[in-house]
Amino acid sequence: MNLLKITAAFLTFLLFFVSCSEDDQPELPKGDYEKGYFISNEGPFNNGSGTITHVGEDDVVSQNIYKTVNDEDLGNIVQFMALSGDNAYFVVNNSHKIVVANRYTMKKITTIEGENINNPRYFVANNDRGYVSNWGDPLNPNDDFISIIDLNSNEIISTISVGEGPEDMLIENNDLYVNLQGGWSQNNKVEVIDLQSNIVSNTLIVGDVPNSLVTDGRGNIWVLCGGKPSWTGFESGGKLAKITTSGHMVELIDFDVTEHPEHLTINSEELYYNLNGKVYEMIAQSSSLPESPIDGIDGFFYAMKANNGELFATDPIDFQSEGSLKVFNLSSGALIETIQTGILPGTIIFQ
Amino acid sequence: MEKLVLILFLSVNIVAFSQYDSLNKLEEIVLYGNFSPDLNTGYSVEIITDSIIKNEINSMGNFLQNHTNLYFKQNGNGMVSSISLRGTSASHTGIFWNGIAINSSLNGQTDFNTLPINSFEGIEIRKGGGSVLFGSGAIGGAVNMRDKVIFKPDKNVLIQLGGGSYNTFKSNVLGLISGNKYYAKVSFNTIFSDNDYQFPDNDLNNENGEFKNYGINSAFGWRFNDKNQIAIYTSYINNDRNTSRTLTATSNAKLKNKNGRFLLNWNNIGNQYASTLKLAYLNENYEYFFDKDLQNSSLNKSKSFITQYNFNYFLNNKISLNSGIDYTHSLGQGSNISNISQNDVEAFVLLHHKAFLNFVYNISVRKGFSSDYNIPFIYALDLSYRINNSFKIKANYSTNYRLPTFNDLYWEPGGNPNLKSEENKSAEFGIDYQKNKTKFELTSYWMKNKNLIQWIPISSDFWQPENIQKTSGYGLEFSIQHKRMIGDHKFQLQAQYAYSVSKDDLINKQLIYVPFHKANSNFNYNFKKLNLNYNLQFTGKVYTTTSNSQNLDNYWLSNIGISYKFLKNDLKIGLRLNNLLDKNYQSVAYRPMPGRNFEFNINYKID
Repeated sequence: MNLLKITAAFLTFLLFFVSCSEDDQPELPKGDYEKGYFISNEGPFNNGSGTITHVGEDDVVSQNIYKTVNDEDLGNIVQFMALSGDNAYFVVNNSHKIVVANRYTMKKITTIEGENINNPRYFVANNDRGYVSNWGDPLNPNDDFISIIDLNSNEIISTISVGEGPEDMLIENNDLYVNLQGGWSQNNKVEVIDLQSNIVSNTLIVGDVPNSLVTDGRGNIWVLCGGKPSWTGFESGGKLAKITTSGHMVELIDFDVTEHPEHLTINSEELYYNLNGKVYEMIAQSSSLPESPIDGIDGFFYAMKANNGELFATDPIDFQSEGSLKVFNLSSGALIETIQTGILPGTIIFQ
Repeated sequence: MEKLVLILFLSVNIVAFSQYDSLNKLEEIVLYGNFSPDLNTGYSVEIITDSIIKNEINSMGNFLQNHTNLYFKQNGNGMVSSISLRGTSASHTGIFWNGIAINSSLNGQTDFNTLPINSFEGIEIRKGGGSVLFGSGAIGGAVNMRDKVIFKPDKNVLIQLGGGSYNTFKSNVLGLISGNKYYAKVSFNTIFSDNDYQFPDNDLNNENGEFKNYGINSAFGWRFNDKNQIAIYTSYINNDRNTSRTLTATSNAKLKNKNGRFLLNWNNIGNQYASTLKLAYLNENYEYFFDKDLQNSSLNKSKSFITQYNFNYFLNNKISLNSGIDYTHSLGQGSNISNISQNDVEAFVLLHHKAFLNFVYNISVRKGFSSDYNIPFIYALDLSYRINNSFKIKANYSTNYRLPTFNDLYWEPGGNPNLKSEENKSAEFGIDYQKNKTKFELTSYWMKNKNLIQWIPISSDFWQPENIQKTSGYGLEFSIQHKRMIGDHKFQLQAQYAYSVSKDDLINKQLIYVPFHKANSNFNYNFKKLNLNYNLQFTGKVYTTTSNSQNLDNYWLSNIGISYKFLKNDLKIGLRLNNLLDKNYQSVAYRPMPGRNFEFNINYKID
């Protein structure tokens, strides 16, 4: 017994000594989720909660990690997830809130909600400011806005009114580009907000229903427009818009009137999009659309992101059970792996 | 006095088979129509009588949930409540009002929280495939709610007041006067509730759960002579319900629905025949407010004009031919459906043959024609064989269908006008036992469904219904009832159990929101003016994802009630405790139901 106590004391001492002298040891891991990537899952539409899936090194998959760590539901319809600084931001559409958590541990920090978060859709950050697109009442075309969050205090500092249905956003050269997809209706604009003055400096007409946008890092923003679907009775074809970041000039490339592409993503110099169950590749300097799709990649994907020569694409299956993430090799089109996700996998984001 | 005691004694649901024996077959046909036990000899027909119903001020959904093995999926307390019979979906049970099909032309379902129980005098639950007699959607079975027009001198006013937790107020006022030649009944009922209970084990309240429902119902009858009687039934129901929040999302939405129903019923009885002509008009308004503070809403309406003629001819004591023809003209319009009209004609013939004293069978066929889709030819065979005084065997085989609804065909966007009918094959085998004060029934069934209509995503924001799903199901149902009387002490025990397997054939998984197990039991004790009732129910786990990866836990619920009669039994005061053990349970995921709550009711009858 005595011996045990002495041993314990010695070990404690040793531990203390070791932990005090680790200056030149490698940095401690910041959390269980420091490496790899996340998938945010919207969750069932009517009653339920979205979840977060993490895929770590060696493809170790952990489901429902936010709830595992915090023992609470994230909220109803986790529409989007973004990372900035040390934090992860979850846009919870039907719970009308932004949840902030540590991106490495998933430990919840705070919730941002109130009248200035109303039907939130997307989040983008720039230094210590975060921007959230909000539909407001989806039936009211005149109450849509961007809320600006001070990321240090996690408080909303102001809002900017925009046109109907602001969706995905992007910041380039201190300009915020906002796709006006149209919400429950259909819109056809990109609004440019000068982040110095926080006013809309330009409203650019693109194609109908701009659904995704990327920057090529060479002075162009590419906006993919799906066009109006046939069920509206006013079908229009998709368009790919190239916007110059200086001067905001718009060039449009037309799809056929029955073609409705979505999920624009970029991998170094190549743009990728999903159309009619196929994935197409296009050089970002090109001025015409590719003729044929990538062989081997098939699917009507719910979300798509290119990364490091691979394509990460989600399949919601029947929308009422777990979806899946498929990883393809972009040059060969080969399916590398399939990973189970939560219900309705909507965003893929890399650490 | 004795009669009232009897009524009290019967205040637990009773399978009142014995009543039929005394009824003339013609009268039985007139009273029960296609729900008549003779026409359903190989099926299980459960009849709930007015003595039980009149003690309740409740919605039909809550009542049947407590008193039968039917499963109801309730979208939060007081919210939309849909039935699942034998593991089928909400549009696979035919719901009838005085023999007229009332499932919505829009979505093919009936919301059981919109129907007040105490305006009716009878409920018939007829399980198993029944499209030949009951038409579209009678796949799991058919349920009829009935006003009982009886020509005998009577006069009374019944006033029922009730209240309870969460500022709930219920009332029903019914006036009745009848004679040998006439009958008149009018009732008015309301249920108002703040419904703002606290979610168990949680800080949240059931916000935006308030509802106000009222209804006016009437039945008028004239007996011109022994052979001819006419009855006119009307019903107007108005429901104004906010749709409550969930655990993860607030709500400011509202649902308003109005249902107007009118029926003229003419019965003509001859020496060897009975004929019934029904002319009905049904009107339905379904309005959804995304935000109740805004004017914007989506409003869809339907109207149906129904002509239905049934003719039953008795060749002799053993053989009868029963036939019916329906013509339905339906109209729909609204925010999501353009002006549409549809015409359906359907007819059936049923041969009833009592081949031997202990062996009866029915053979029946039905065929219909529609302006919008093909209606399949269907048929059924059912039989019963009495082994001895106590045991009876029942069996049946049927083919059935459900026709696409307006929403399936014409919803904008997505509706698919090329949809076909859903098709079903069902079979069952059962044993009935009855001896002295004990009665039980054991039934097993199988079914196959194909061409089931399912809304599937064409793209992420565009869904369309297709005839793609195949399902199969089987199950077991058991019910037992036992009565005992010791002096003035009367005991009654009644229990029911249903085991339901219902699978999507493609993935071989149980359908969501179909419990494998549902059981309930009622124990009633009566002593003179005192009545005690204990209700215990079990709902097994249900899956909430099609892959069966997530589920809601099973739950036991119990309710206890006590009542006492005053003033020569004209006044009855009752108290009930619901969810006695304060169980935290959900009928639909993320929508907690109320914890322990109480209600009182006062029934006053003026003769």
